[in-house]
Amino acid sequence: MKASIGDLARKYRWQFSGMVAWAIQRVTGLLLLFYLLLHVHTVSKLGEGPVAFNEAIATFRSPFFKLLEIALLGTVVLHALNGIRITLVDLGVGVGQQRHLFWVLTLGIGLLVFLAGAIPMFLFGVLKG
Amino acid sequence: MARNAVHWYLQRITGALLLVLLSAHFWVVHFMTAPVRRGELTYEIVVARVSNPVWQVIDISFLLVALYHGLSGLRGIVFDYGPFGKWAVGSINFALTLVGIAWAWWGIAAFRHL
Amino acid sequence: MELNITVRLARHPAREGRRFSEFAVTLEERMTVLDALFRVQRGMDSSVGFRCACRVGMCGTCAVLINRVPRLACSTPVKGLGSDVVTIEPLPGYPVIKDVAVSLAPFFDQWRRALPAFRPKDRDAPALARIPRDSPFGRLAGPKRDCITCGACHAACSITGTNAAYLGPAAINKALLRLLDPRDAASGDRLKILDSQTSGVWRCHTQFNCTAVCPRGINLTESIGQVKRALLRPRKAFQA
Repeated sequence: MKASIGDLARKYRWQFSGMVAWAIQRVTGLLLLFYLLLHVHTVSKLGEGPVAFNEAIATFRSPFFKLLEIALLGTVVLHALNGIRITLVDLGVGVGQQRHLFWVLTLGIGLLVFLAGAIPMFLFGVLKG
Repeated sequence: MARNAVHWYLQRITGALLLVLLSAHFWVVHFMTAPVRRGELTYEIVVARVSNPVWQVIDISFLLVALYHGLSGLRGIVFDYGPFGKWAVGSINFALTLVGIAWAWWGIAAFRHL
Repeated sequence: MELNITVRLARHPAREGRRFSEFAVTLEERMTVLDALFRVQRGMDSSVGFRCACRVGMCGTCAVLINRVPRLACSTPVKGLGSDVVTIEPLPGYPVIKDVAVSLAPFFDQWRRALPAFRPKDRDAPALARIPRDSPFGRLAGPKRDCITCGACHAACSITGTNAAYLGPAAINKALLRLLDPRDAASGDRLKILDSQTSGVWRCHTQFNCTAVCPRGINLTESIGQVKRALLRPRKAFQA
């Protein structure tokens, strides 16, 4: 039986870390697909000659886009580490400690890797530009 | 191995490949040579790199792997909103394959005009 | 001093345009949510509809949504909820018959699809096949046998909510028990059903909602993972 919208709203509970992880994977995946679309669009400007391409690239030098780049890094890190966590669970590794896998691996290590990239990007990209 | 198990494997394999390719790509585009380290990413600099067929092969492979992983993931999302009969599944597969081919063509086209 | 709790009960059909009826119930020693429901039914509104049978957590009949989480009403102490408002709603994803009593038809439809019945390899065996608790099958199956078909896991999973064809954790767990059983002959048929891209184990995204709400503490996500691993292996016959 198909659930009604009310049923679905009740189901998307945020009490369980597994549910949050699933939602993160879905959202980051879609965002990255959208980013790929934009990226291919920009690279395709190569075929239109130097003026068109350099113009397109110039828009990405603004601090706003540099910030978006940092957000992109965060998106990739979350998606990759969560993907590793899902694969581990599927393979039966750490199923009893899946909450720890999420908080420590995905978010904890994710935060470290993100900061390792984001801080230099921020200092040299956003602040300098 | 069951018939649909291959999708599980391919998603993980392409995922791992993407991690490697993405890191390499990021390094190449932002750190490999002095100009890009300075933040200059102009037409001339990009064309200088992608005129080399080796880079073309690497970049196109990267795109194809990313497209497989992304569209296969999108297929998973669609299947979560079932039920779907055989005909619907076939149509979804066909549509996503078409999108993938068109998208790849669009991506590769940039290199062909150089 | 008497402590009062508020029981908010979902009504179906709605009463006077209001989806919830509220009742003030005196909190008693070791009161469970089911006890509170009986207080309401016997002393305040005899028309409230809810289900129960054994009242000791063995039959699975009284599964409802308590403060947004699927639980057995008879096994949920009111004090443990940490709130003096107890909101009771029907399990999501099932057709509501009356108030918080639902039809488990969608649950059992999937249950049946996974071929839960035992198909013996040797129909003419004269002796009973004994499964000692410490045998390989006994050890693997032990923690998975406790399912009381309460429907909580199926209700908690967000994939069953958006995909009416998905088998769901309980059906897959039952299929796993049969797959693990060395006496059973229908592995091939079951694995084909479980391998379905649109309705089989590949729809599971390890949300762990099912495991979190199972009143018997079965790690259902792990059960589904066992089936996934069997499908991923190159061998044709099932191996745990």
